Amino acid sequence: MSLEKYEAVIGLEVHAQLMTASKMFCRCPNQYGASPNTNVCPICTGQPGSLPVINKKAIELGVRAAIALQCEIHSESVFARKNYFYPDLPKGYQISQYERPYSTHGNIVVRLKNGDEKRIGITRIHFEEDAGKSNHESYGTLVNLNRAGVPLIEIVSEPDMRNAHEAGQYLRALHSILRYADICDGNMEEGNFRCDANISVRLRGTEKFGTKVELKNINSFKFVEKAIEYEIQRQVFAIENGEKIIQQTRSWNSGKNVTEVMREKEEAHDYRYFPEPDLPKLTISVEWLGQIRNEMPELPSQASERFKKAFELSDYDAAVLTSSKELAHYFESVVSHSKNGKASANWVMNELLGRLNAASKEIEASPVSATQIAELIKKIDSGEISGKIAKTVFEEMFATSKDASVIIKDKGFVQISDPAALENAVRKVIENNPSQLAEYKAGKVKLLGFFVGQAMKETQGQANPALLNELVKKLLDT
Amino acid sequence: MLTREEVLKIAKLARLTLTEDEIVFYQKQLTRVLGHIEDLNQVQTSKEAFVQHVPSDAIPFREDRAQPFPNHEGLMGNAPAVENGCFLLPTIVEHS
Repeated sequence: MSLEKYEAVIGLEVHAQLMTASKMFCRCPNQYGASPNTNVCPICTGQPGSLPVINKKAIELGVRAAIALQCEIHSESVFARKNYFYPDLPKGYQISQYERPYSTHGNIVVRLKNGDEKRIGITRIHFEEDAGKSNHESYGTLVNLNRAGVPLIEIVSEPDMRNAHEAGQYLRALHSILRYADICDGNMEEGNFRCDANISVRLRGTEKFGTKVELKNINSFKFVEKAIEYEIQRQVFAIENGEKIIQQTRSWNSGKNVTEVMREKEEAHDYRYFPEPDLPKLTISVEWLGQIRNEMPELPSQASERFKKAFELSDYDAAVLTSSKELAHYFESVVSHSKNGKASANWVMNELLGRLNAASKEIEASPVSATQIAELIKKIDSGEISGKIAKTVFEEMFATSKDASVIIKDKGFVQISDPAALENAVRKVIENNPSQLAEYKAGKVKLLGFFVGQAMKETQGQANPALLNELVKKLLDT
Repeated sequence: MLTREEVLKIAKLARLTLTEDEIVFYQKQLTRVLGHIEDLNQVQTSKEAFVQHVPSDAIPFREDRAQPFPNHEGLMGNAPAVENGCFLLPTIVEHS
């Protein structure tokens, strides 16, 4: 099978739940995890005669997303009914936007693993309400409508992505932006940020799109990448075997690592969209838009630029440290205590993130707090401990959550900067290595490093390196 | 005239099983309904003409304050069957 002959065409649809206190069209709390059907009212259960009233904050958060994603924002848009039949959709339709969404033509610039940047187009963003939740049991279907009517935005990308990595990076960037701007909490396990992917393959160099397959509701970045990877191979394999790709909806089975058919095209829904007669046009005035712009929180790209300038960080470092809002806050908190941007970046990225990754932990669950890591950096900067010792101390901090000062005291890890104390160690090393001393005296000056290393060992790594170097040289040369 | 296959497809989408007589009946009836819609389509309307009568500054927005519905029991009492706080519905979607 020659995958190289083909290229994939991928577009993503993301549903993001808006961080409002109440639902989109009624006053019920927008709250996850409440007992079934406690956050329901006549409007979100579709009782006859009830009428929707738009939540102002939901519109503001949606507009904020459109601004963050460089979209055009339309002063007039129209709500529409999307009709389908399902137990968890009490009205028999979902209020959405169809022909005239509030926002179109945006983009996100994503960073790829080879260092390149790629601009991914955003076709549209529209408002809609969520459906409820059904659980199918042998004796019937149990329906919980707590989620029915919760405000969502659906963000539809252009088919601009060509492989699973690009799709993964797009999703990560989008996720980060929505969380930074306090639009969506991004919790994928609770279904607050959900992704569908449209995937087709075509021979490289051809223009025409292949038949697309839709992957539904994948709930982690890793699964999205795996599912797309699998689906591309499946489609190429099918074409190479002379089979036709069937337009269908598939789901990702994370247990078996395969995509499976959910439904075929002939069963596809015809949603019979029509304008929602219970809601007038949505009008976003210039004044309102200006006000939302003025209240925009900082975005990841802006935070990255600020970090680069303020702390003299590289593009790469700034991008990593602003990859999530929590990480950026953690880093800023470290810097504000340590007053050393570069060292803070190095410690957070090289020592902390590596260990967190290995332990599959997020920054929020870091066993070492920002002030603790800053205290450690200050001890290096003040010369109290060497960088080398600091790494040992940090390992202990990560394992036990203890303060650096406690560990240094308990283990006697203080850096020796007293020349008299170091001199003894150096003299001992010189005495114990007469042949190396002779070689050094005969002109093999490279051996200086050997003596420094031995002396450092003698002090259990606690010697002030600069001072030790100086002492070894002085004593060897006398 | 709608074809027999079109009627069967619509029936499938609506999860309906039709008898032979019903297929013939709906072929005729649905064709008439669609013909009427065709007539309506002759009327020139812009996409949002239906809401033109509502001035845009009349849109009532709601402030984002949560307030639980006071008559929760009454609401749940409308349901023919409730189990563990969930509405219990007959099985209508078959899962393979």
